[in-house]
Amino acid sequence: MTKPTCEDTFVIKKRNLGNDYYSLTFAPYPRVEACRPGHFVHILLASTDVPFRRAFSIAGTDPENQTLEIIFKVFGRGTRLLSSLVKGDTVNLLGPLGVPFRLPGRNQRTIIVAGGIGYPPLLYLAVEMVRRGYTPGSIEFFYGGRSAADILDSRRIKRLGVNFHPVTEDGSLGQKGLITEPVERFILDSGTAGLRIYGCGPEGMLKATDGLGLKYGIPGQISVEAPMPCGTGICLGCVVPLVKGGYARVCCDGPVFALGEIAL
Amino acid sequence: MTPDLKVTIAGVEFANPIMTASGCCGYGEELAQIFPLSRLGALVTKSITRHPRLGHPPPRTAETASGMLNAIGLANVGIDAFLADKIPFLTKQKTRIIVNVAGSKLTEYVEICARLNECERVDMIELNISCPNVDEGGMEFGSDPMMTEKSVAAVRKVFSRPVIAKLSPNVTSIAQIALAAEQGGADAVSIINSLVGTSVDIETWRPKLTNNKGGLTGPAIKPVALAMVEAVHASRCRLPIIGVGGIADYRDVVEFMLCGATAVQVGTSLFVDPSGPVKMVKGLSAYLKKKKLGAASDLIGKVRKYGT
Repeated sequence: MTKPTCEDTFVIKKRNLGNDYYSLTFAPYPRVEACRPGHFVHILLASTDVPFRRAFSIAGTDPENQTLEIIFKVFGRGTRLLSSLVKGDTVNLLGPLGVPFRLPGRNQRTIIVAGGIGYPPLLYLAVEMVRRGYTPGSIEFFYGGRSAADILDSRRIKRLGVNFHPVTEDGSLGQKGLITEPVERFILDSGTAGLRIYGCGPEGMLKATDGLGLKYGIPGQISVEAPMPCGTGICLGCVVPLVKGGYARVCCDGPVFALGEIAL
Repeated sequence: MTPDLKVTIAGVEFANPIMTASGCCGYGEELAQIFPLSRLGALVTKSITRHPRLGHPPPRTAETASGMLNAIGLANVGIDAFLADKIPFLTKQKTRIIVNVAGSKLTEYVEICARLNECERVDMIELNISCPNVDEGGMEFGSDPMMTEKSVAAVRKVFSRPVIAKLSPNVTSIAQIALAAEQGGADAVSIINSLVGTSVDIETWRPKLTNNKGGLTGPAIKPVALAMVEAVHASRCRLPIIGVGGIADYRDVVEFMLCGATAVQVGTSLFVDPSGPVKMVKGLSAYLKKKKLGAASDLIGKVRKYGT
């Protein structure tokens, strides 16, 4: 396990990605080298309105420039406050936290299933795989949202050279429907040999992805979220039920779990 | 000259007055990743029960103004696994170990404490007679003076080292309960456990916790905790007090000590800054130096109240 630390860092870049979606880049973040896809950081905003930290999957890092990026949608008090930060503002990051994704074998094919705002850790995963020399053509990046406006940064994914499959419920971009439909078609067309699935997104999508893995015997991992007071495993607040019974802490037993592990 | 941070409770010396609060640091393993536990005056474990408990289904926590509600449901490994799997790690830590004990029947408290008595590394036990979150969580023992006295006395017989009673704020007179604990043979009191509270989602009309209610903690409850510490300190109860409730930095530590606490426990603020206790120890030392005080114990009960 990577030892987490609290570090003050600065907002160096803020981008509105349309609607309520934002990207924030922090630097210098001295723990960049320890970050892996699937890790998250716990951000302190230091406001009486938002007394506790907020957990965000890491969307990407640049070790050379010591930057760390998160991508989020404004949803409540914490994300609203975060979206109001400007270049130069200070935040405190506790991290890196959690169990990261286990990268697939070199000769395996990867299906990435990103639903809505579950996209950031999977973007990081795809970027890291390409950086480490995985063949981009062996990565199928499925990205689903309600409409085109919910598919963020598609150019960034295309630039990686991976096979990009946008899916929208209203058909405004890519295939129309739910993301798991084209994923299942792909599995049936390509066969299951050497496949690995990685998913993150809303609960219904995770459940369907988990189901596909079990149905076709494809191993893989999903990243889940939960309201999380501490992030370090001490408060026992962020638990999810396990298939075998009992609970696991999302913050330190996860947030990445094997398919079939969580009772979704 | 470096101020002396040592404090003594029931003949047991603590390196400094900063302890963790039960239920906010598990069994110490995670916190040890953040800082050496030797920096603490004591580590207080999560409540241990006779049998393992899974705890309540999520959601278990909800943020409030300057605090949080929790209903974890006394999730813990149970006394067998605690002794087998957790004590070996705790034994190696160079800090005082206080084990918090909860039960649904008096016989359970007695059985657990008898077994902890065999474990020399356990410096003290803290009786949770004040958990608001489970029906059998001990609050019935801690909200009635007779029951408080009876439960402390029963445990006292089987545990030869100091016994702390952790008291509930959800009572009419906490001083009366503290006196009952003293009569039962307690060596110290921890004041306070969490305040009963709830919160409702106005979209779904559901309580935000599956337990429907929970315990309020964090800076929101600090003024209540301070007043209760002061009330017990000013009462006939002569037991040393361990102050708990919303302590987030060294200033809070000083306030609690001035109101009569010999030591303090840090809970919810560990979720915001897990290394907080280390900063509090440093901050307290610097404060004492600035005030030209030789020892942390010089602060205990020194609040200069009006009209006295």
